Amino acid sequence: MSVRLIVRILSEICVTIGAVIVLFAAYTLFWTGVVAEDAADGAVVRLRQEWARLPAATRPGAPAAPSVPAAPSVPSVPSVPSAVPPPPVPSVPAVPDHPPRTGKPYESGRPFAIMYIPRFGADWAWPVLEGTDPGTLRKGLGHYAGTARLGATGNFSVAGHRRTHGDPFRDFPRLRPGDAVVLGDGTTWFTYRIRNEPYRTVPGDVGVVDAVPVKSGFGGPGRYLTLTTCDPEWGSSHRLVVWARLDAEQPVTRGEPAAFHS
Amino acid sequence: MYGWIWRHLPGNAWVRALIALVLALAVVYGLFQYVFPWAEPLLPFNDVTVDGQ
Repeated sequence: MSVRLIVRILSEICVTIGAVIVLFAAYTLFWTGVVAEDAADGAVVRLRQEWARLPAATRPGAPAAPSVPAAPSVPSVPSVPSAVPPPPVPSVPAVPDHPPRTGKPYESGRPFAIMYIPRFGADWAWPVLEGTDPGTLRKGLGHYAGTARLGATGNFSVAGHRRTHGDPFRDFPRLRPGDAVVLGDGTTWFTYRIRNEPYRTVPGDVGVVDAVPVKSGFGGPGRYLTLTTCDPEWGSSHRLVVWARLDAEQPVTRGEPAAFHS
Repeated sequence: MYGWIWRHLPGNAWVRALIALVLALAVVYGLFQYVFPWAEPLLPFNDVTVDGQ
């Protein structure tokens, strides 16, 4: 075998490897975003269509269910005066328990809610899917299985990519105390208010998604939300965490929450 | 390597070029559809959860 042939095969292998690396970079930086945004937009549209088809009378809790005062077991949630509804009209029999706590269990890998964070822009809307495995997080935000249901007492915890797969949490460090995190599940709007500046921790710090996270400063049981993503931006050595507390909730029949317009 | 493939493709130069293009696209499709999705979780910027691992 001639030296010329060996050199040629070696250089062809090197060129091939280089091309594959360039393609992989294009896949990671660009194509995962295309796929994720496509999947997320599709999920958002499907959820909205599904929710629009729900007849008002069969919507659990709408329109007769009392909203904020319906949580007698959660005295620590402050009620915002504007969020307190007028006395319910008894045209539809009231639902005995609070809808988010009685719904059917979330189906793994399926979207069940849409999250809005006005700080990230008016058009920022991502579906929340059940579970946090990589295949699920490719399609949107992931709800930690085993943490509380949306709007229920406990800690509704959600993870999202900071980079790649659509960069949903790219602006995570810009979150500030008081920022709204709005979630809709088709029947109810939940407005959570962030309590802390992004808190940096290590990946093994699973306590941040506890029902009452120790480092969050929350005094006792309540209806909380936790968002997690990676830190640094392109690394995985740490995690960024924000905690939020349920601030207001209202049935969708009463229109969009005020947080969208503030 | 590429020379060997070229020599073993049938037809004249145009047909060979067309087949080579289709083969290249098939390889790219396979990479994007199967290889990269498998390799990508091995990179660091995929870990966004706290999991104690």
